[in-house]
Amino acid sequence: MNTKNTDVVAEYLHEVDVRLAGLPVLQRRELLADLAAHIASERAERNIQTEGELIEVLERLGSPDVVAAAAHEEFGPVTPPPARRQFRGGWLIAAIVGVVLVLLLCASAFFVSSSTESPAQMERAPAPAPSLPVPAAS
Amino acid sequence: MAELATSLRRGTLEFCVLAMVEHEDRYGTEIVRRFGEEPNLAASEGTIYPLLSRLRRVGWLDSKWAESPSGPPRRYYALTSDGRSALTHFRTEWVSFRQTVDRLVGTSEPA
Repeated sequence: MNTKNTDVVAEYLHEVDVRLAGLPVLQRRELLADLAAHIASERAERNIQTEGELIEVLERLGSPDVVAAAAHEEFGPVTPPPARRQFRGGWLIAAIVGVVLVLLLCASAFFVSSSTESPAQMERAPAPAPSLPVPAAS
Repeated sequence: MAELATSLRRGTLEFCVLAMVEHEDRYGTEIVRRFGEEPNLAASEGTIYPLLSRLRRVGWLDSKWAESPSGPPRRYYALTSDGRSALTHFRTEWVSFRQTVDRLVGTSEPA
């Protein structure tokens, strides 16, 4: 009798599992574990002996179709938003990286130009300074 | 009419679940049985578990497995501080929502 009862439960859980196809594996596992724990609690706390009583427990849980439909409703629409959020996060990161790159480019351009100009001025300054600026000033 | 009940349940049932664990932690079967006693909310018991799972995922509930004195291990659910804020917020929203609907549909209690 006990193995027969276990068979009913195993069959029920299997039927639910089949209908959970497409949901993330951890959420499937979690739901099956919750249902199994529920059935085990009911058996222990209501002292269920017969298969008929066990089937009543399963009927109160709902048909595999109904339970799986609820799971799809809870988990199905929930999956796209995190994906979209990640996507938006990706854009944000890309934007930040872009801004940083532009800033780096500006900074390096500024640095390169100033570093190429200033030593040149420094080098040239002492040499042409006496000849060129003097006529310009006078 | 079954569809109407489903629509009304959507969006409110989760707060009934939160309220159920507001003052003490409860295990899954206990929560599910309690809903089984409410004809208006009597979704099949098994549909509560995906809801509990979602509420845990969004951080409104916490859960932990504990040994039971009389049988298999139980998964206890507790309200998190985020869950508590969500419930408080729902209570405010619900009162004004209910009043508006009552006024428009003509179901207000005669004053």
